[in-house]
Amino acid sequence: MKRDINSRDYIFMYSTVLIVVVAVLLTVAALWLQPYQQRNKDNERCVNILKAAGIPDVNTENAQQLFEQHCKASLLLNEKGEVSTEGSFPLYVIDNLTTVIPMQGNGLWGPIWGYIAIGPDGNTVVDANFSHKSETPGLGGEITTEKFQRQFRGCPFRKNNCYSPIEVDAITGATKTSKGVEEMINKTLLLYLPYFEKR
Amino acid sequence: MNVKKLIVEPLHKTNPVTVLVLGICSCLAVTAQLKPALVMGASVTVVTMLSNFIISLLRKGIPNRIRIIVQLVVVATLVILIDQFLKAFAYEVSKQLSVYVGLIITNCIIMGRLEAFALSHGPWESALDGLGNGLGYSLILVIVAFFRELLGSGTLLGYQIVPQSFYELGYLNNGLMILPPMALVVVGVIIWIQRTRHPEMQETTHKH
Repeated sequence: MKRDINSRDYIFMYSTVLIVVVAVLLTVAALWLQPYQQRNKDNERCVNILKAAGIPDVNTENAQQLFEQHCKASLLLNEKGEVSTEGSFPLYVIDNLTTVIPMQGNGLWGPIWGYIAIGPDGNTVVDANFSHKSETPGLGGEITTEKFQRQFRGCPFRKNNCYSPIEVDAITGATKTSKGVEEMINKTLLLYLPYFEKR
Repeated sequence: MNVKKLIVEPLHKTNPVTVLVLGICSCLAVTAQLKPALVMGASVTVVTMLSNFIISLLRKGIPNRIRIIVQLVVVATLVILIDQFLKAFAYEVSKQLSVYVGLIITNCIIMGRLEAFALSHGPWESALDGLGNGLGYSLILVIVAFFRELLGSGTLLGYQIVPQSFYELGYLNNGLMILPPMALVVVGVIIWIQRTRHPEMQETTHKH
């Protein structure tokens, strides 16, 4: 029997089968691949934290191991800057009291994030690194380059016990992303300021 | 089946970008640097090839009235699957690609080849046609990105090409090259050169 492929019944049947097949395929793939994807994300997080703290020769292979070796404490702060198990602001203490803080903000097209490391004196930035979801390559995407990131090394953010905002020179053609980075850093540092003032 | 014709013609005579003028949008977005252009070219080639193959296998059963929807579902599924695999097993590549995954799905070349070729040809021919058109697209992308990165940033694939002594003599990178409009200008120049050298490609307009 030859089926009419343009009949209404056939169209309904065809689309139902197609959608079920696709749904099953995508679900299986997502469930099966999730552990691998999570491991990659964790590795990347460790790499970024350790790099910000100035640990040399970190790569995705040895990241977890080095992280356990160097990370002396991973704490949560509450709004008042006190260490508390119910706090919502994480920070990592690496080796010689360098504090690494995760940051989140907005670029031009989507989220940007990164880690900033504060020196043992609690006044200066040791290093910072940034990642982004969808900034333009060659423009906003430049925030992930070494050239951009090393400008933050040694920037003071506290002078005479007063907060002095970090200023970011805009990348040509990427003013919005640069402003986003500036906002993200200052917003984060202000949140964590009570912790450094108490220390 | 003429393998050579299927792969070689889209590089030049039936190039999807310069002759059919498809895929221009992504051509603007990813050509500020050479590396993303290469990644994008490779991913579009893979997706065009696979989706052409799959749609060609299904072509006798697809109801005419919902064929565009079926094509879209197949392309979107393929792209998501590839993205998931890359995220699990080639994380660095997936980070490069993340921005463009959406752009791959909406690339007119893929749908264009499905409609124009895969629906009326066998699976192997269709796969080759997809490969050829993907390569044709990549070729233009790479040419445009080459000039934009070289003149806009003085680098290629991130390596410094223009020597420091040039900058000391007063040479400046052309910031305009990094901005999207210049991609259109470069594509325009490529079309101009191509059609000047091959007058048979010029459209005939009505005579006064």
